[in-house]
Amino acid sequence: MKLLATSGMLGYGYTEEAFQRAVDQGMDMIGCDGGSMDPGPYYLGAGTPFVSRRATKRDLGLMIQAGVKHATPVVIGSAGGSGGAPHVAWTQSIIEEIAAENNIGFRMAVIDAEQSHARIKQAISTGRVQSLGPIDELSAATVDGSERIVAMMGVEPLQAAFNEGVDVILAGRCSDAAIYASMPIAKGIDAGLAWHMGKIIECAGQVVEPRVGQDCVIGTLNHDHFVIEPGHADKRCTRMKIAAHTLYENPSPYELKEPGGILHTRECSYDQLDERSVRVSGSQFVPHSPYTVKLEGVSALGFRTVFVAGVRDPDLVEGMEDFVAECRKRVAKEAASMGISEHEYTLTVRIYGRGAVMGARDPVSDPHPHELGIVADVIAMDEDTSRAIMAKARYAMLHTDFPNRKCISGNLAIPFSPSDMPCGQTYRFSVWHTMELDDPLEPFPMHIVNVGKQTGQR
Amino acid sequence: MSTLGELAHVVRSKNAGALYYTLDVMFADEALYNKVIASKVLNPTRIGELYQLSANAVQVINYDVAYAIKITIPRDYPSGDPACNDVYGAQQHAPLLGIEVPD
Repeated sequence: MKLLATSGMLGYGYTEEAFQRAVDQGMDMIGCDGGSMDPGPYYLGAGTPFVSRRATKRDLGLMIQAGVKHATPVVIGSAGGSGGAPHVAWTQSIIEEIAAENNIGFRMAVIDAEQSHARIKQAISTGRVQSLGPIDELSAATVDGSERIVAMMGVEPLQAAFNEGVDVILAGRCSDAAIYASMPIAKGIDAGLAWHMGKIIECAGQVVEPRVGQDCVIGTLNHDHFVIEPGHADKRCTRMKIAAHTLYENPSPYELKEPGGILHTRECSYDQLDERSVRVSGSQFVPHSPYTVKLEGVSALGFRTVFVAGVRDPDLVEGMEDFVAECRKRVAKEAASMGISEHEYTLTVRIYGRGAVMGARDPVSDPHPHELGIVADVIAMDEDTSRAIMAKARYAMLHTDFPNRKCISGNLAIPFSPSDMPCGQTYRFSVWHTMELDDPLEPFPMHIVNVGKQTGQR
Repeated sequence: MSTLGELAHVVRSKNAGALYYTLDVMFADEALYNKVIASKVLNPTRIGELYQLSANAVQVINYDVAYAIKITIPRDYPSGDPACNDVYGAQQHAPLLGIEVPD
């Protein structure tokens, strides 16, 4: 069984020659992961993607047209980046546009992953939700305060869609590896091999050399091993690159948690088959009972305004920490004069050149750069308050006195006009937990839609 | 005496989910990897001191097949929190570069 991963991220691109070369070999499935939580909580909260519509349409267009032409199922997981309801709807609208523009029609399964607050609270009340690390235990109040919560589906909802014989599967939040593991497992291939192959090809071009952007990767599954090769004729996969990939973004390369179980790679062999392909065997998948899925959720924090400036004056560079403390007091006073209490906003000032990247954990404690960068941000309940506080903070930092000050016309080099940049509603991760399920399908309702031109009975 | 930055060909950090950083130190060949493993400089106590964490908050896993050592540490704040400085977690590796490895 041959599976094609077109790109590590829908919208990050792939070459048409690699794609065409792969499709011409005859694929059993064409997939692409659409999501990641790496860009942080904003995108899940705001319901927006972090890739452009245009790039997504380009990547999807080739996949959908080839899939329909060759009767090869196309699977998209974690649609729209975060895989919530608006993200799935956004991706669906692009697929509908592609069908209309190319005068093609097909059946598509749409699988939702956004969760109702009631469902999560019910799971909490029966002790079926656990934290996934250093974050508070999930409470009903936190759930109620969350803007959006998704659950990450495993192979089972995708398999239910394959059973319906659809041409395209558009899934909300989904394990990246499950996109590729679902069909082989349903057809009786070893789950360890299927999950491991899925885990390796889901990042597509990342396991390919030379690494020039993203590109297609082909996984071929057999009963006791799988083979990874690049789609592109001029690229190659190396044993080291494939073996190293299980390190990526995981706390352990030997035990990889997936919905419903753990993939074990300790007994794996990685062999260079020829100069461009690698054979892997020995992967094991150990199901975990009860079946557990990951939950991701965000709550709204307020409206952020950002301000950037530089400092070159040596006395200000020297006394920066005291200076910022003085400015904070001044901002609090000015805020009070507008009727805004200190509880109604947060002002964060990052001093680049003085440990802003690592904070208190930086072992370098006394750096002496000749200039400093200031990135300040205000978060407040509404944009008006956020902008008002930032305007006061900017004025305070520009004109507050400090010891031996000679630059009395201004303390800062401000690179931009306007200087204060409102960036809208902002979010934080409120939910990063697991939820136990009785039925792996239950939180992931599927519906089937006919997209584009219909040719009658199928 | 060499530093880890001189011996390793990859020293990187990345999020492992929103609550952990994971740091990968990778070597071009088995000899360099074995040299660093044998030196035992990458141990939870030492890394804990470097990142001001208790040793039991630090996980170190040797991954022979890729000549790699993986270190996982908790984040102080979830990715994207108001006090978070590194949403992707991509710049938390630098303290490892200066670790001295005896010859």
